[in-house]
Order: sequence, then structure tokens, then C-alpha cells
Amino acid sequence: MNQITKEMRDLARELLASGEVKGLIGWTKGSRWYLTPPLFITRPEEAEQLYFDQFAVNNLTGLLLDYRYGDDKIALFVKGCDSRGIVRLLQDHQIKREKVLVIGVPCMGMSDKKAVTDPRQPVELPLLDKCLECRYPNPVIADRLIGGALVSGEPSEPKGLTASEAAKRGVGSKQADRFAQVKAIEAMSADEKYAFWQAQHEKCLRCYACRNICPACNCRECIFESDKKGWVNKSATPTDNAFFAVTRAMHVAGRCVECGECERVCPMDIPIMALNRKVIQDINELFGESDAGTDLDGKMPLGLFKNDDPEEFM
Amino acid sequence: MKRIGVFVCHCGSNIANTVHCEKVAQVAKDFPGVVLSTDYKYMCSEPGQVMIQEAIREHNLDGYVVAACSPRMHEPTFRKCAARAGMNPYMVEQVNIREQCSWVHANKEKGTEKSIDLLRMGVAKVVKNEPLYSTTIPVTKRSLVIGGGIAGIQAALDIANAGYPVTLLDREHTIGGRMAQVDKTFPTLDCSACILTPKMVEAAQHPNIELMTYAEVEAVDGFVGNFDVTIRKKARYVDFDQCTGCGACTEKCPKKVPSEFEMELGMRKAIYTPFPQAVPNKPIIDAKHCRYLLDGKCGICKKVCPTGAVDYEQKDELIVERFGAIVVATGFEQFDISAYEEYGAGKIPDVITGLHLERLMNASGPTAGKIKRPSDGKVPEKIVFVKCVGSRDEAKGRPYCSKACCMYVAKHATLLKEKMPNSKSYIFYMDVRTPGKNYEEFYARTQNEYDAQYIRGRVSKIFQVGDKLIVRGEDSLLGRPVEIEADLVVLAAGMDPRGDAKDLARTLGISYDQHGWFTEAHPKLQPVETHTAGIYLAGACQGPKDIPDSVAQASAAAVKAAGLLSKPELTSEAMTALCDEAICSGCGLCQSICPYKSIEIKSINERYHGQMRQRRVSNVNQGLCQGCGACTVACPSGAMNLKGFTNDQILAEVDALCQR
Repeated sequence: MNQITKEMRDLARELLASGEVKGLIGWTKGSRWYLTPPLFITRPEEAEQLYFDQFAVNNLTGLLLDYRYGDDKIALFVKGCDSRGIVRLLQDHQIKREKVLVIGVPCMGMSDKKAVTDPRQPVELPLLDKCLECRYPNPVIADRLIGGALVSGEPSEPKGLTASEAAKRGVGSKQADRFAQVKAIEAMSADEKYAFWQAQHEKCLRCYACRNICPACNCRECIFESDKKGWVNKSATPTDNAFFAVTRAMHVAGRCVECGECERVCPMDIPIMALNRKVIQDINELFGESDAGTDLDGKMPLGLFKNDDPEEFM
Repeated sequence: MKRIGVFVCHCGSNIANTVHCEKVAQVAKDFPGVVLSTDYKYMCSEPGQVMIQEAIREHNLDGYVVAACSPRMHEPTFRKCAARAGMNPYMVEQVNIREQCSWVHANKEKGTEKSIDLLRMGVAKVVKNEPLYSTTIPVTKRSLVIGGGIAGIQAALDIANAGYPVTLLDREHTIGGRMAQVDKTFPTLDCSACILTPKMVEAAQHPNIELMTYAEVEAVDGFVGNFDVTIRKKARYVDFDQCTGCGACTEKCPKKVPSEFEMELGMRKAIYTPFPQAVPNKPIIDAKHCRYLLDGKCGICKKVCPTGAVDYEQKDELIVERFGAIVVATGFEQFDISAYEEYGAGKIPDVITGLHLERLMNASGPTAGKIKRPSDGKVPEKIVFVKCVGSRDEAKGRPYCSKACCMYVAKHATLLKEKMPNSKSYIFYMDVRTPGKNYEEFYARTQNEYDAQYIRGRVSKIFQVGDKLIVRGEDSLLGRPVEIEADLVVLAAGMDPRGDAKDLARTLGISYDQHGWFTEAHPKLQPVETHTAGIYLAGACQGPKDIPDSVAQASAAAVKAAGLLSKPELTSEAMTALCDEAICSGCGLCQSICPYKSIEIKSINERYHGQMRQRRVSNVNQGLCQGCGACTVACPSGAMNLKGFTNDQILAEVDALCQR
């Protein structure tokens, strides 16, 4: 058992036993060596099930939405990327600050389980692209810290117990490539772009996994499940899928925290982050560089009226 | 299905030349819901409107579409027309087949086709229109005028004379503004103070005017008819109730500082009134220079004051007052000549600006009206004027004309010749612009009778040689360089917006252009209104102006303000945003993006899993909302809808367009 897992269990036991929190969301070792899925516990003795390794990739923050109208205080573990989701939910007033206890963990970079060839044979796996491009390996917000994690609201180097491992594995080594895919698609002709996206949208199953995992997708009622006819259609045709994809991207515009979970959970490997990144790139160009979900008191560029806002269209 | 009428207007030949109006009306008969479709030469004319009203009654219409000019032109006409026939005015849609079709197209077949498409969209939308109702809001019958220059004074007097209380606010501790600094006024050459000070006194003594000098607007909340204005009354350190204005303190004060009023050509004390005719004519202490307030040593003014009015303990005071209307008259600043390196960047003492010369000419100025140049007090003989300094100069970020300089330079040249018959004025100009009553005649006299020499061309460099100033330029009419050895150079510095104009604009929620001049609601038809209802503009804060223009605009703004205050109550906008609380997630994006501060988050109680829970939702103040729609696009959940432009209505239009 690794040190972080040990500290996790100790803290969880303490928090649940003292009654400081009513529930706790973390990760547990799954049925296979490359699975470390989310775990929800309410009793101190369940803390033994907690586990942390390079497969604890799930961003747990979206799960807090299940408790947004409750009275219970919930604790959850966050890696750097996940922690921006907490800021998202707080800024969107979906959770109350006093109803959540954020525990920051250091991150060694998450492995890409799509590279698994033999489920019975543990091997060293490459890092997820999002970890190679990672700029926020340390939590941006936390009430407690374990594993030597440090809070940092700015892009930073990996800190804590796993710092050297993260560096060795190449966490953040491809930060500069963050917009590479956007640039590649932008370089296509209009017809090529259309063909590219049409091919992607044809694959979409409308399973809504991307929406469900997303901390920015926190509407009470998703428009794609409403009975409003007209604007949106539930059928999984290429046209309607394209409409869904663009609507989703614009829905999280200025609010996407770049955790990359939408793309990771997509069963059809649709490059969802390319669309999110395109929007982020445009916002940066129009309103100046900013990273959503890194500053709790920061103003969102698209959520602010200024008299000197550009008005080219008027 | 609703019963819809369609009325296609020819607008004489404006539309009919490029659109087969009869055909458009004919085709519209088959649109879903349409029970009547017809065309007419002038729909907005009395017979046209009667025709619509009769059709509403005869065909029992639920709504109608008029295909005509822009709604900006005649929407109110057609809404009122509906109301007269007993139909809710918001059951009318106007389709623009003039500005957006006939005027911009030449092909009649294509124009007709496009008109049909636009009309189909309009019909699809009106079917989804709902009756909308305005509410009424009360009006606080009191006005605030920000800025006590000639524009502010005039506006305050006019509103006060119309019978409404006015608070006239000035950040300086006297009213009078720029005009008080001016010596004589063109084109009549009457003394500026002689015509200004009676107005200052009248404003001070008017029973309907409350003077609030040495005060600034800190925050503005509320909306048309009910603005809650937070005002900072700055500490004067002199109790005005006790001060008699005897002047003993000013006389004895040991601290001298350059006088802002005298353009730093003269000195003032740390406790001072800026000029003899100041209103109120009582001194204040300049805390930045007062020895007592800085070091705790001195206290002479307190000792000599016979009434004990000096109070070093005074603090700024914040008050909140409610006003129905606001007139903004904050004026201008003179362009800072330090931007012109080639003209000495303001560092050559004898290169001065127009306002400096005003003070040198003024009998109560630092030289008692004798023209003495700042460096050595010598009386200048050759004077060079350079026009368009900080005006019409793209390189300095001032592409606009400052409007008053041509005339004030002519005035200066005339007055200099009168004061010093042996002097000679040379005036470098780009163009001479004299559009105003008796302006051109004045300019002609300056040349013919007062011997001013106008040289068309730019000055490239001004530098000192001995006690002379060498002005190097070009005479572009003769096409050759000129060099003049001058004793004094006057730069006709243009007008700049106030340095903090943009901050005030944000506080008030009004817009400004790229330079910082406040923007009127319409450059021709609404020149004194702003886009924010209840806030009006007067004088140079809206753009460079001379005194006659400022006064005229001030009276216009006053009429608008008084007109607003005369209403028993105001009708609020009916097309406002509405939040669907069932969908609203309470994120508050709409609140931060709302330019009118009309959205608040409220808490609602809701049953959730068998228990009562509180939940945040947005609440639109229907009186404040101006229907701009910013919140509807910002809302991530689509909970915000704009009445009259609902998502459903827009979708219906898009669908209709796709059905061709």
C-alpha cells in the first residue's frame, strides 16, 4: 500500500468518525489492475476500501451535484485538474463552500488504460495526453492536504510525494502542445473540417457520458433531455449530433476547466477537447489569457459586462 | 390557430420599385394563420392605419404583421394602431422590407423573393407572440446635474425654472467651470465673467437649486425615475455655516502653491477661494498642501478666523440621495501639450496654451491683464499661434476637430492687437472652420482690421534661441518653408475628455466613444439622451463644443429631464427578461453580466425529497430591465427568455426561413 493511500484512509477514518463529514468521495481499487473507480463511503470502517494510484483518473467533483440540495457536508479527494472543478461548482453556486471539504492529493500523472493490451498482464502504461499537457498538477483549492500536496492557483511544477515520479513520467512535458490539435484543424479547408467533424459526429451514440462527468454541465435540466421541441433533437443522427456537440461546447464556453474528462469517458473517442480548446483559444484572444476555475474570486470573461467590451457587431 | 393579418406597404415607390408588393401580399395569404393579406401605398398614413384598424375588427384578428420600413421607424406607430383597435400592441410584428430589402437590392424578382421570406418569418413569429403589459413605476421629482460649468448651470436653472428641485454638483469647490477661466467670449467679445457670474449667483440663490460643491458621484444604483446616487462630500475643513468669507485666513496662510485656476501662472494659498467671484465664495483647505494637515504645525488660519469656522477634523461624508433624472455636464480638459515633443512638450516657458493666454489677458489674472510672457515678463510683440494642437491629429490619437479653437484663436489675435497695437499675430492653420452665427464675420475682421496673418501649414518645430522662439513651419499655399522669430507662442490646444470620464460612465452605466466622450443615444435624433433612460448629456462631455452650443444643449437636456419629471409615473419596458425558475440553476452569470443591475438572486422554497429546501434563482426587476438580452445568451441553462423575442419565437422564424 502506497503512502498516499495510507494517508487517505487515515484522514477519511478520522473525518467520518468525528462526524465532521457525512460522506466521503474517493477512489477504490477496481476489479482489474488498471481500474481505480470512484467510491462513496459514509462509515469510518469503509475507509479501508480507499485507494490511490495512477489509475484514479476520474474527476469526482461532478458527483457533488447529487448533494447540491442536501444538508450534509461531503468530503472528496481532488487532484490538481479535478480541483478546478470545485472552483467551477462554487462559482456556479451549485455547492455551498461550507458543505464541502476538499482534500488535495499530489498527482503522479494518470496512465492511459486504453493502451492496455492484455487485461491479465500488468505493464507500464503511457501517460494520458491530458497529463502530458497538464499545467495545474497541484490543487488550486483545498481544505486539507495529504501526501505532501501543495495548493497553487498558478500553473506550477508537480509537488508533494509524487513530484519526482510525475516529473519522470513527463507530467506537463507537452504543455506547449495544448492547442496543437486546434491549430491542425484550423489549418484544414472548410470542406476538410466538415468532413472531419462529420466523421466524428457520425460516431456519437448520445450516451451523454461527456455531459455527466463534466463539472461545468450543472444545469438542473439538460436541454437535450427536456421536452422542448424544435431547437434540439434527441435522435442520434449526424446533424443532430453535430448540433449537440456544438451546443455542449458553447454551453461550457468560458467555464470549461480543461480536466479532459469528457474526452476520456467518450466511448467513441470523439476529440471533444479539441472543440473546448478552440473556444478557450478564442476567449483568450478576445479577452486576454485566463484559466477558468483557478481563481474563486476571479471574474469569468463571458460572465461580465464592461462598457468597453468589443462591439464590432453593433 | 391565431388569426393573423398581413399588411404590405409600398412606401410610395421606396419599396414598390424593387418589390412586387401585390405579389408578396398574395403569397402571404397561404401562410399558416393568415386570414387577411393586403397591400397599400402608405401603411403608416392615416388611411393605412384606419384600414388596419377596420381589418382588426372585421376579421377579428389576434395579431398582425406589417411589411414596411424598419421597426425603428414605425414600430410605435403600428403598435399604437393596434392598441386603438383594442389589440395588445405587442401582437404586432414589423418586417423590414425597405432598409433590409428594397433599398439594398436592385433586382425586383429577387427583392420580391426575399420580402416573401422575411414576411413568412414574421408571420411565424407573430403566431407565437403573447400579449405583453407594461407596468408603471413612480418618479422621484428631483434632478441631479453633475458638473457646474456653464452647461450644468444652464441645465440646472432651466429645470429649476420648470418647477423641479435640482441638485447642482461640482467636484471643484466653486461652480463656473472652464468658462470662469476665460477672459472674453467670441464672437461678441463680452467679458466671460460678466455674463457667467450672474448665472452662477442665480443658480446659488434659486429656491429650487441646491448647490453641492466639492462633491463627487461615487455610485449610482436604481433606474430611470429613481436613481439612488451615492455622493461623496469632500472635507473642506471649513464650516460653511460659520464662515463669513472674510478672507483673513487666506491672507495669513503662509503656504503658497501654483494656482490651478490661473493655469499655474500665479500662486494661491493652501486655504483659498480660486477666484474672486467664486460661488460659494468661501475658502476651503487644500489638504495636500496645508501645513497643519500635513505636519500638524501651523494652524494660523484657525487662529485668525474670527468665527472659528476652521475645522481640521472634518471628514469626507457619504450621502445617498434619490433623483428621477440625471444631467451629465462634466465638460472637458484642455489637451496636454506635453505630447508634442516638437513644440517643446510644454517645457519651454513661453510656449503656452490658449487657456494660459486667457489668464494672462484677464484683468483679475496673475498679470492683471497685462500681456507678459511667463519666462521674463517681457511684453511680446511677435506672437505665433499654432492651431490643431491635439486636434485633427491621428498621430496623437485625436482625429476629431475641437471646434472652438479656430474662433478662440481669432479672438486672441483680435484682443492682442487691441491691447498692444504694435504687436503682430501669425496664425498657422490647417483649415479655418467658422460655422456659427457671426463667426465668419469675426474671422474676416481679425484678418482685415486686426492685421492677423494667417499662414496655411503645419509647424514642424519650435525651439529657443536666446530669448526668441524660432517657429519653423511650412506655408503650404506658397509651397515653401517659413521661419518666424517669435516672442510668444500660443498652442491652440484642443479639447480632451475628462481623464476620469470613463470611470463616471461606468458608474452611471452610460457609454462613451473610443476617446472618452459620452455617447448620445442617436447622433441626430437623440443628441442629448444617453442609452440609459433618465440620463442626459449637456455640454462638452459629449464632444468638443463652444459656449453657445453647450448652453443650447444644456437647455435641451433640461427639457428632457423636466419632461421626464413632469410625468406622474413611468411606463416600464414590456419586453423584458423573464427567468424560468424551474430551469434556473442559480449560477448568477446573468447577474454579473446585466448592464442595468436589474437581476438579483433570490431564494425560493421547494420540496425536495420530502423536505423543504431553499434554492437560489434569478429574479429580474421588471422596472430596471431594459430588454437588452445579455442575460438570455449568458444563461448556461436557457432559463432566461426575453419576452417578445423568446427562443420559441426565434426558432419559429428560423424554421420559417428554412421552409422556402
